[in-house]
Amino acid sequence: MNPISDEDLVLYHYRDGLDAAALAGIAAALDASDALRTRYASIEQTLARVDALPAPEPDRDFNARLWRRLEPRLQTRAVLQRPSWAERLQAWLSPPRLAFAGAACALALAVGIGFYAGRHSAPETPTVASAQADAAAARVLDAYVAEHLRATEGVLMTASNSDSTTLLDSNRELAASLVESNRLYALAAARAGNTQLADFLRQLEPVLISLANQPASPSIEPAQGLRDYLRSTDLLFQVRATEARLDKPAPRKT
Amino acid sequence: MRMANDEARWVARAGAGDAAAFRHLVDAHSAALFRVCARITGDKALAEDAVQEAFFNAYRHLREFDGRSAFSTWLHRIAVNAALGEMRKRNRIEAALPEDDEAADVLASSLEGPPGPERQAVSAAVGRDIETQLKRMSAIERTAFVLRHHEGQSIEEISETLSLSESASKQAIFRAVRKLRGALEPDGVEA
Repeated sequence: MNPISDEDLVLYHYRDGLDAAALAGIAAALDASDALRTRYASIEQTLARVDALPAPEPDRDFNARLWRRLEPRLQTRAVLQRPSWAERLQAWLSPPRLAFAGAACALALAVGIGFYAGRHSAPETPTVASAQADAAAARVLDAYVAEHLRATEGVLMTASNSDSTTLLDSNRELAASLVESNRLYALAAARAGNTQLADFLRQLEPVLISLANQPASPSIEPAQGLRDYLRSTDLLFQVRATEARLDKPAPRKT
Repeated sequence: MRMANDEARWVARAGAGDAAAFRHLVDAHSAALFRVCARITGDKALAEDAVQEAFFNAYRHLREFDGRSAFSTWLHRIAVNAALGEMRKRNRIEAALPEDDEAADVLASSLEGPPGPERQAVSAAVGRDIETQLKRMSAIERTAFVLRHHEGQSIEEISETLSLSESASKQAIFRAVRKLRGALEPDGVEA
């Protein structure tokens, strides 16, 4: 073995950056050599003196002061982000078990708007009134589905990227809550004549079901399988693209 | 596990825009972040700015937190970069204090000081000199040392946080320890 340097002794002190053989070699050398023990003791003494220094502690008002300075910045940030009413509704609808209720509301609202607008529009232009009602209902549905897809995207991203059991547990719950709402949105899209969206949502259903039923401690294989599936089907890209399309405001009439 | 689970829920709620949940995370982690930032910057006011910046950056990127590491690890990494950023802003990075022979003399005599109240005063002097020595280190040396010694991070983690190779991280820690030893053992090790 090469002569043991002070650098080796520093790494030995932290038990870091050395393999097991090197650690064992240094331990044996320390047992055998007084001079090496003295050098090591000197390093340990220096580091112990650093430990003896009091840790810097914030004063009592630190948290209050921190929050006072932080809060306006967060609010500005929130305003800049300008969350849509759909996002606010989604936040209100959390925890995820209420997502189903959201979907049901969206469906009822879309049907309701169509019905109301159809009944109360100017009688002399029934075609225009009906078209306006359909457009309003479609916009409501689009906003809800876009939000649903954002949540789905998050679930897919977490499932394919995260190894944290805790996050995966929450993710499983979220996926389970999205299955029913996904079914309702697919139904609503089909009723509204948007077969493309309905087909796409139906395509998502088995993926959500499979994520909702993943074992509590997933092994590497299912996670890798999901990554492979996402890559081969471009599903994540399709989710984002559909989400972006639904988010796009309808062209203004001039 | 329950704690981690609870924290994941707070993080999820904060990510959805719940300010109260974010405040909860701030309260839970601010003291630890302050300690690491104060050790890196060597300045409480700078540390406070760094903590504020760290939380603001964390809030902006909360949705990107993927749970691969613990939330506190993720937050600490942001705080370390915020502390380095604050130092850079104030042109303190890589700045060294002027050589001070007087300080070295006080230190040398302190190591042979008598016990009792005088010894306590000497201990305080040693503490001050360690702090002086820490301030003389480059920002990278001090940060690598603080992360390894006080935060218990591995060299691999330090390399990731500071975007350095493992070899460069080790060298930064070695230089930091050498400088400390140079101050505490003036005859033994060259700083």
